[in-house]
Formats: sequence, structure tokens, C-alpha cells
Amino acid sequence: MFFIALYRIFKFGFQNFWRNFWLSIVTVFILVLTLFSISVVYTLNVVADNAINAIKEKVDIDLFFDPTIPEDKIFAVQAYLESQPDVKAVEYISKEQALESFRAEHQDDPTIQESLSELTENPLPATLVVKAKALEDYSNIVVNLDNSEYSHLISSRNFEDNQVVIDRLSSITDRIYQVGIGVSLIFILVAILVVFNAIRMNIYTQREELGIMRLVGANNIFIRLPFIIESILYALLASILTILILYPLLSAVSPYINNLFEGYDFKMFSYFTANFWNILGLEIIISVVISVISSMIAIGRYLRV
Amino acid sequence: MIKLKNVSKIYSEDTVAVKNINLHIRPGEFVSIVGQSGTGKTTIARLIIAEEKPTKGKIIIGGWDITDIKNSEVPVLRRQIGVVFQDFKLLPRKTVLENIAFALEVSGAPLKKIKTIIPQVLKVVGLEGKADRFPRQLSGGEQQRVVIARSLVHRPKIILADEPTGNLDAINVREIIDLLLKINKFGTTVVLVTHNPGIVNGLKKRVITLDQGVIISDQKMGRYIL
Ligand SMILES: Nc1ncnc2c1ncn2[C@@H]1O[C@H](COP(=O)(O)OP(=O)(O)OP(=O)(O)O)[C@@H](O)[C@H]1O
Ligand SMILES: [Mg+2]
Repeated sequence: MFFIALYRIFKFGFQNFWRNFWLSIVTVFILVLTLFSISVVYTLNVVADNAINAIKEKVDIDLFFDPTIPEDKIFAVQAYLESQPDVKAVEYISKEQALESFRAEHQDDPTIQESLSELTENPLPATLVVKAKALEDYSNIVVNLDNSEYSHLISSRNFEDNQVVIDRLSSITDRIYQVGIGVSLIFILVAILVVFNAIRMNIYTQREELGIMRLVGANNIFIRLPFIIESILYALLASILTILILYPLLSAVSPYINNLFEGYDFKMFSYFTANFWNILGLEIIISVVISVISSMIAIGRYLRV
Repeated sequence: MIKLKNVSKIYSEDTVAVKNINLHIRPGEFVSIVGQSGTGKTTIARLIIAEEKPTKGKIIIGGWDITDIKNSEVPVLRRQIGVVFQDFKLLPRKTVLENIAFALEVSGAPLKKIKTIIPQVLKVVGLEGKADRFPRQLSGGEQQRVVIARSLVHRPKIILADEPTGNLDAINVREIIDLLLKINKFGTTVVLVTHNPGIVNGLKKRVITLDQGVIISDQKMGRYIL
């Protein structure tokens, strides 16, 4: 009983879809455009967030020590820094480690390798690499260190403040993001109107069936639900099509984006494959909400029960 | 079976469709409602099936006060009243069988019920052999018989026919009226709205005459008096 009713409602819903085939296609197409623009904004947001994080992650303070400073003094500085509340981590790189990694970095450069082997003494200083908990803590850490008893131990320090770059990048991405959201909102509005119109047209095409249904005492669900099913069908088709367009496109641009993230662990396409079901789910939710809302408005306005 | 108590339907200040109608139709009756064009016959039919709500008064169908019927209850009422309206047509792209089945499908009837009822109602209207024809392959009279068959699928207690013979010739009119009489013999209450004096005078049944929205006569063995 329940299943036969469900079967019939779905049958009517599919019939509605086929009956105004081209109108249905146009409706799906507009929904695809809408979802696509939302997806682009979403992608942009993901990339921008990761770009900013990548830059933030690169920020640190390098403290260099003269070769004459004994290791236990350096450890004292490290202990002091680690006790500071705004310091996240302090890494000690000994002279030997510094040389090792320098060698490894330039192993393909024969002149450097040659000159390194000629050296009798390790020219590289020991280093403490300091990471703050937050970007704005760095200046504080530097000031505190300069005023501390340890300041004389440090031969030099290297602190690049990337704040300017970060600020500029955020303001650019914010602007792109705002434009994207604006465009998406326009698409959503258009999609609502187009779905509304498609359902309205379908109600009109079926006025005879609907009239008969009402007079023979059809249950309301048989009258209304097929139109909702029809609109859900639009949404599902649009979601699948959007994914089918979006993923190949992302996979094509992904290498270029990944290049921008040198040295930082972000692979755009893997992000999207890892989140495939979430993204598909999101597309479906957005499009179903858009089309069900507008079909319900159309039904409310044009379908007397 | 059908009771109208002081019923008025006022569409707007200058269109008072019916005024203070008092009417009692008993179970198993065959009643004709006659009157000139625009006197409110169709309005009464639409009030009975809750297609319109009365502006004033009370309507009771089979003991059920439908005056303030809820939208969700209207389908239940409609299944108790078989409707045959002149402009209430068959779906041209469905066969006779599909047209009748449609009425059952959309009321949630199970397949088994559909399979048993369709031959029964086709037999009543005498169209057993034409189940697979499309409406355009039938005569006007046959089409109207399909409409009547469709109105019978829920085994209604009332048949409400508004000008069912509208554009039919004399022979077909006779057939339709005979069919309604036959259905009435099974115990179904029949309300027939018509313009046709010939039909009314031949029936020798109760006749209610309307004029400008008011009942001007209600006779047991009535004649067309206008
Ligand atoms: N939906 C409506 N809105 C406004 N006025 C209406 C509406 N339906 C009917 N009327 C008016 O109510 C009056 C009665 O109409 P109704 O259809 O009941 O007449 P009728 O007796 O069935 O006429 P006919 O014999 O021509 O079918 C008419 O004056 C008509 O114009
Ligand atoms: Mg009329």
C-alpha cells in the first residue's frame, strides 16, 4: 500500500520531468551554473585559506650563536624561550646538523660540495628556531629576548615579518571571495525563479489531470508530491552534473595550484578527492533546498487543492 | 443524504448565486435540478462537493457537516460523490482503461482493487469491449459513459451529474439517462442538473426548479415548468 503509493508518486514525478523535457533541461542547466559558481567560490576559499596558512607556517625567528658559545648556554636560552607563554616550539639545530642539512640541500652542486670538503672547520653557526603560537606574538618575543640576560649570547637573528604579505593576500582573496558570493547569490536567485517557473509550467500543462485528480478525490500527496519529486530530480541531476564537470576541471588546474604551495603540504586535488562525499552532499543539499523551496512556492501559488 | 439549510452563496455583492436554499434529498432518490442559465444550478453542485464553501448556511452530506470542511478531508468527501460534469473530460492520451484506473491510482487504491473494479464499472456502462480504445475513438455518448464509469470507481453513495447530456444527440441522451436510472436502481442517490425539458418530463421523478438563485418549486413527480 505504502510502496505502491510511493511508486506512483515517483512515476508521476518522472512523467512531469519528461513531459516538459526541454524546460527540465534548461532548469537543470541553470542549477548546474549555480552550483558551479558556488563550488568555485568554495574552492577559492580552500586555496586561499591554505595559502595564508602556508605563509604563516613559514614565519619563524632564527637565533644564531657564535661558535664560541658552549652548548649548555644555548640550552639555557632554549629553556628560557620555551618557558615564555607565547612560544609554541623551539628547535635546536647544532652546528653539525646545520652542516648536514646544508650538504644535503646542495648535494647536486659539485662546487659547493668541493669547497665544503676543503673546509677544516664547520663555518655554520648553531641555531635556535623559534615558532610563536600566533603571528602577532613574534615582536613581543623578540623584545622580551632583547631585554633578557641572554641577549648578549645571540650573535644575530633573522626574523622576516610576513605580516604585510599576509595582509595583502587576505585582502585580495577577501575581495575575490566577496565577488564570488555576490555572483553565487545572483545565480541562486535566478535558479529559484527558473525552478519556480518550470513547476508553474508543469502545473499548467497538467491542469486537466489535476482537475480530475481533485474531483475523483485524489489524496493531496498524489497531487503535490510529484512536483516536489520533480524538483528534487532537477537538483540531483544538477549535483551529479556539477561534480562531473568540477572534478576533471580541478584535476586539470591542480598542478598549477600545487606549484604555488612549494614546500607546504597542500595538494588541491587530493583535498577534493578526500572530501568527495562531503562536497557531493553539500551540492545536493544546496540544490535540493533551492529547488524544493521554489517548487513549494509554485505549488502554493498555483495548485489549488 | 444531502441537506442544505438556508444556504447562500454570494460571490460578490452583485452576484448572489444562490439564496436561502433549503433542500433535503433522501438516500436512493433521483432528483433533477432545472432552471434557466445562471440561476445557480452548478453553484449548488459545487457546494455539495465542497468545491465552494457556502457564504451562509449549513451543508450536510450523509450525516457529515461539510460546511467548514478541512482541505485534508475534501478527498474523503469526493470519494463518496461520483461527479459527472460537462467540462470534466477524459484524458486524451490515456485509454478508457487507463482513464478509469487513474482515478483509482491517485486515491491510493492497491493494484488488486483496480483490477477487480474496472471490469465491474465497464460492465455497468456497457463498454466491456472498448477498454483499450482512446477517447477520440469513441462516440460522444460512449465518452460520457466512460466518465460515468470513472465516477463509479469508489462506489459512491451519490452521483452528481451536471448537464451530462450537454452536447449529445437524442439517442445518446436517452442512453445516458437510462444509465443513470440503472445506477439509481442499485440504490445510489442521483442528482441530475439539466436544461432539457424532454428528459425531465420523461423521468416522472422529483424536480427542483431554480430561478435567480431561489427554489421556486419542488415537486415529487415534477415537470419542467419554465
Ligand atoms: N466563480 C465564480 N465567481 C463569480 N461569480 C460566479 C462564479 N461562478 C458562478 N458565478 C455566478 O453565479 C451565478 C450562478 O452561476 P451557475 O454557474 O451556478 O449557473 P447555472 O445555473 O449552472 O447556469 P448554466 O445553466 O448556464 O450552467 C451566475 O450569475 C454566475 O455568473
Ligand atoms: Mg451550470
